[in-house]
Amino acid sequence: MTAEMAAPLGAPTLHRPDTLDEVCALLGSLDQAMVYGGGTAVQILIKQGVLFASDLVDLSLVPDLDGIERTDTGLRVGAMVSLRRMETDPVVRRIVPLAAQVYGHVANPRVRNTASVGGNLAHGDYRLDPPTALMVLGARVELRSSAGVRHVPVRDFFVGFQETAVAPGELVTAVEIPAQTGSSSGFAKLSSQSVNDWPCASAAALVTSPVQGQRELRLGLGALAEVPKYVSVDVPSDAGVADAVRLGQEAAGPVIDPIPDIRGGADFKRRLGLVAVEDAIRAAWGSTGGTETGAAGRSTGKEGSDARRNSRRRWWRSR
Amino acid sequence: MLGETRVAAGGAVGERWARTDARAKVRGELLYAADQPLRPCLDVVVHRSTRPHALIGSVDTERAMAVDGVVAVVTGAQLYKLFGNALMTGPAFSDQPCLAVDRVRYIGEPVAAVLARGLAPARTAADEIEVDYTELEPVHDVDLAVAGGPYVHDVLRPSVVFGDLKHLRGKRDTNVNYEYTLRRGDVAEAAAAEGGRTVHEEFWCPPTHHVPIELPFTAAWRDGDRLEILSATQTPSYVRQSVADLLGIPLNAVRVRSAPLGGSFGAKMYDRLEPLAAVLAWTQRTAVRITASREEAFLLTTRHGAAVTGSMTADKDGRIVAATADVRYDTGAYADVGPRITAKSGMVATGPYRVENVDVRSRCVYTNKPSAGPFRGFGVPQVTWSHESLVDELARECGVDPAEFRRRNLLREGDVAPVGTPMHSADFAGCLDAVTEAVGWDTPLQREEGRLRRGRGVAVGVKAVLTPTIANAVLQLNQDASATLLISTVDMGQGSDTIMAQIAAEALCLGEGQVRVVAADTDVTPYDTITAGSRSTYHTGNAVRRAADAMRDKLLELAAERFGVAVTDVKLTGDGLVSAENQQKVSIPELLHGHFGARGTTLTTEANFTTSWVPYDHETGQSERVTEHWFAGAVAVQLTVDTATGRVHVEHLAVAGDVGRAINPKLVEQQLTGAAIMGVGHALFDQMVFDEGQIVNGTLLDYQLPSVLDVPDKITPIIVESPHRSGPYGAKGVGETTIIPLAPAIANAVRDAIGIRFPRLPLTPERILTALAEQEAGA
Amino acid sequence: MTTDVQMTVNGARHRVAVADDDLLLDVLRRLGITSVREGCGVGACGACTVLAEDHSVSSCLARAVRYDGVPLTTADGLAEDDDVVEEFVAAGAMQCGYCIPGFVLMGHELLAQNPAPTREEIAAHLEGNICRCGTYQEICSAIEATARRRQAENERRSA
Repeated sequence: MTAEMAAPLGAPTLHRPDTLDEVCALLGSLDQAMVYGGGTAVQILIKQGVLFASDLVDLSLVPDLDGIERTDTGLRVGAMVSLRRMETDPVVRRIVPLAAQVYGHVANPRVRNTASVGGNLAHGDYRLDPPTALMVLGARVELRSSAGVRHVPVRDFFVGFQETAVAPGELVTAVEIPAQTGSSSGFAKLSSQSVNDWPCASAAALVTSPVQGQRELRLGLGALAEVPKYVSVDVPSDAGVADAVRLGQEAAGPVIDPIPDIRGGADFKRRLGLVAVEDAIRAAWGSTGGTETGAAGRSTGKEGSDARRNSRRRWWRSR
Repeated sequence: MLGETRVAAGGAVGERWARTDARAKVRGELLYAADQPLRPCLDVVVHRSTRPHALIGSVDTERAMAVDGVVAVVTGAQLYKLFGNALMTGPAFSDQPCLAVDRVRYIGEPVAAVLARGLAPARTAADEIEVDYTELEPVHDVDLAVAGGPYVHDVLRPSVVFGDLKHLRGKRDTNVNYEYTLRRGDVAEAAAAEGGRTVHEEFWCPPTHHVPIELPFTAAWRDGDRLEILSATQTPSYVRQSVADLLGIPLNAVRVRSAPLGGSFGAKMYDRLEPLAAVLAWTQRTAVRITASREEAFLLTTRHGAAVTGSMTADKDGRIVAATADVRYDTGAYADVGPRITAKSGMVATGPYRVENVDVRSRCVYTNKPSAGPFRGFGVPQVTWSHESLVDELARECGVDPAEFRRRNLLREGDVAPVGTPMHSADFAGCLDAVTEAVGWDTPLQREEGRLRRGRGVAVGVKAVLTPTIANAVLQLNQDASATLLISTVDMGQGSDTIMAQIAAEALCLGEGQVRVVAADTDVTPYDTITAGSRSTYHTGNAVRRAADAMRDKLLELAAERFGVAVTDVKLTGDGLVSAENQQKVSIPELLHGHFGARGTTLTTEANFTTSWVPYDHETGQSERVTEHWFAGAVAVQLTVDTATGRVHVEHLAVAGDVGRAINPKLVEQQLTGAAIMGVGHALFDQMVFDEGQIVNGTLLDYQLPSVLDVPDKITPIIVESPHRSGPYGAKGVGETTIIPLAPAIANAVRDAIGIRFPRLPLTPERILTALAEQEAGA
Repeated sequence: MTTDVQMTVNGARHRVAVADDDLLLDVLRRLGITSVREGCGVGACGACTVLAEDHSVSSCLARAVRYDGVPLTTADGLAEDDDVVEEFVAAGAMQCGYCIPGFVLMGHELLAQNPAPTREEIAAHLEGNICRCGTYQEICSAIEATARRRQAENERRSA
């Protein structure tokens, strides 16, 4: 008899608690419990036979997890807020426009209607779009367990391949996102198959307003290593966009370590990663009011490389 | 024949009638096979092989049987005891068992079937089955398989179902189950001539999948000594024969019903889920249904991956004088209809050009992968990828514009194709002119725009319709002047119900909505070879036209009798029948009421349309009549290549097909456009990726299809009409025409934009970026 | 575990016993609502789209227990004179038709949120729906035509 795959666990038991304390108690007592938020990712894992959980703890009946609150420093977003709401909510669009922009790039509108902010982060996939924005915005994740509450910066949240800082017994209850004030931002997502595919490379760029002759250029990278990556570099306020691109690429280069797959090899993804960095920086720079001198090098042309955005725009031209 | 020479009666052909089922489709009220009410059925889930090539030792079903809700577990060995070699089915060779008997030949092959009350226990139990394998060496690569062992099959037995495949012979000790050769003139001599130029290349098209959004579905149940099947199939008549052979019962003891298909593109043909459903229902005396998941659908059939080694030679005057192609189709573990694909694409492997010296060898090769079968284009896109890339390079070698170079060499009306058959109703030049004009071929092009490079490309395609085939139609004209048409053509989105209604209505001066087409049901609708290969409009359309003409003749006779005038004096008009001599008039309802003396009666006619051929010579591949008619199409494209990301963006895609005569121009445009969008996927990203026989991207999260965001900025579908002398009102089919030259047109435009020839599909950003880097390094 | 839930579909209420892991798709089909169809099982094709309180949902990824009492709309339950349906029919926005109900519902959702979408916005909203027959142009035109029709009706009413 040949060895087959380990027998899958039976269908996990669904729990539907209606208080956060009950959720924490369940997560603390069950052996292999998993939080069931929007459910989209979990259902796909079940469908593919790769969900290894004994129990699912459904958050949909727990009150107060789906609020978007204005705080002194920015926004506090409940774990069960849908990605679609992040994309479309006027408050989110005003306070953290980069986040709204990037949430609008995840999967498709139907998935965004269902998938939740907390679940999206806890899923821990290295290709996700939202972490790129949350990292450059300096967001932090609120984690709760029976033992209490703690906060982890999104920049430290992803600890390994599909592994996050969520400890056994904990769940994501909120994300706190500092307001995007005085900074400008851009996002680029590059795919290699259909336009709507998972990215081969994505980058969010944020440029702070000048302080003592320097701007901080922050970069969040998706799909370019086994976890979302964050780097930052100071750029002289009077630098041109070409300098910013060069500095950004120099900072990003060393952390890019792509996983080869059907969407492309590591070298290809590394190259694309640097293009995504350039495109994101150019988009960010374009709205800083900073000088364009030094931009004489390569032009992005009128198209840029965000194929999704370009297709949306260009498909209708000349009709 | 009188009916063939009459002019159209009018009003229906050439009109943009709405699809007969338009509203039901939009509201979701149309019932596809799995939507139809059924008697209670057991759900069937199969346990699949985890080995690409292995002998089956034992199959342990004990734990599966213990799962609550499981009624039975059936293995291939058990079925073989009951059915013997009849268990092996297939349209070309009887090589495929519905459950592997003693040997598995691909990862994912069904080994045992669970019947259970409900899908969930069936799935659980299928996972509980354990199989003891003795591994055999697998062969994954088509060229290694050609070169020798291991052999996927020990012995081959032809199945003798179709007329065009009756020459197949049994074979052993080879993976090449069929070889077609085409020889004409002397290639070596022509290629050596003074001042000539030759280009050659190794091409590769990967396996792809059809991915119709409707999933495969078959239900079967026993009704006394009969077996009834409801299946999502393009080939109800074939399935009836195949299942009758399998069960050893008469044709009239098997009833196969199809339903409108939610797309198919060749995926739902011949033996898919039907043999398994049939033997389970028959042996277990129960009703069963099999619903494939998307992941399982990827394992049922694929498009052939194909390697082509090709060359093309022009003389000093820019005439193509020689062409070669060595084609190896990877047909996977079972031949399916691969031998026909091998022959039918081999005969056009040098393209739609006047070439006096050709040498083609086309082989169908087994490997340890899921079986490949028919897919929109039927193997021809793979050889077109070769000849349209070669002719483009040859034009450049000769310093001639690629469109103009083709124009000088294209086959024209009356020319004899390399296969030996004359051309008729195949206006390649008209298609080429139309698409090049549409994209502004001769207008200046802004080649550089930032990091974008812009280019234009063109390609032409040719395909021969499957010959010989058989179509039948039964037409009932109801007393109220509505009509009911019985045919076994399956509407799978191509709009055949609407087309056939228009053809019938034309002859009978009926209006939109007056002709209803009955869904294929072998108890009711007559034999039809297949709904595939773009053959229905011409073949079934001719049967329908003949039945409708016969109906008109009957009406004229009845009216002449009633009016007391000669038949030649009576005309059928939209208002009924009229005598030219005495101006008498009668409506169809009045006429039939008067004739039968009752309301609600029916007048019935039936007609057959069968095509014939001269079988091709097995040494030279030559035939003076290898096909009933030709398909001709052309594509021109303007696109940009982003030199930073390697991404191709299509700005304008112009596609043209010579359809003889457009019965319904709207539906023709949709076929031209839909095939083109599918072709864009094939050109740029669509492919099945295997790792040691295991599909790596067999879900729609990974297997990418063109979405609305992948559609070109602009698509111009162009209908070219050079009427076929024996087509119904001059018409031919169109479903495949524009997918055939689509990928090479895009590759030729990429070549134009960045100066690089890509011989391997798809043109992924990675391939393009890598090639650009090499180009830069070399420069 | 099995729970008794109330499925509210196109205004009709059904009491149904559903298992915890029953998918909304399967429960709707058990109720005879076959306009909702599986195409991929992973939320990538849109053939199983339903509207839940006017929000599109992939019913193949949704557990039925969560939709207890939530008003659901499927294409077959739209009004007989539904304007999106009318425009799809008029535009010939269907080939095999299998995916079309999903597109119709996506069109409804979009127009409820954005009464005058640009063609770019229409395309963006349909990015997760696959029409393998390639009917995208007609589908987008039909949604655009519906927007124009609603605008004209509003103008007529306010005139």
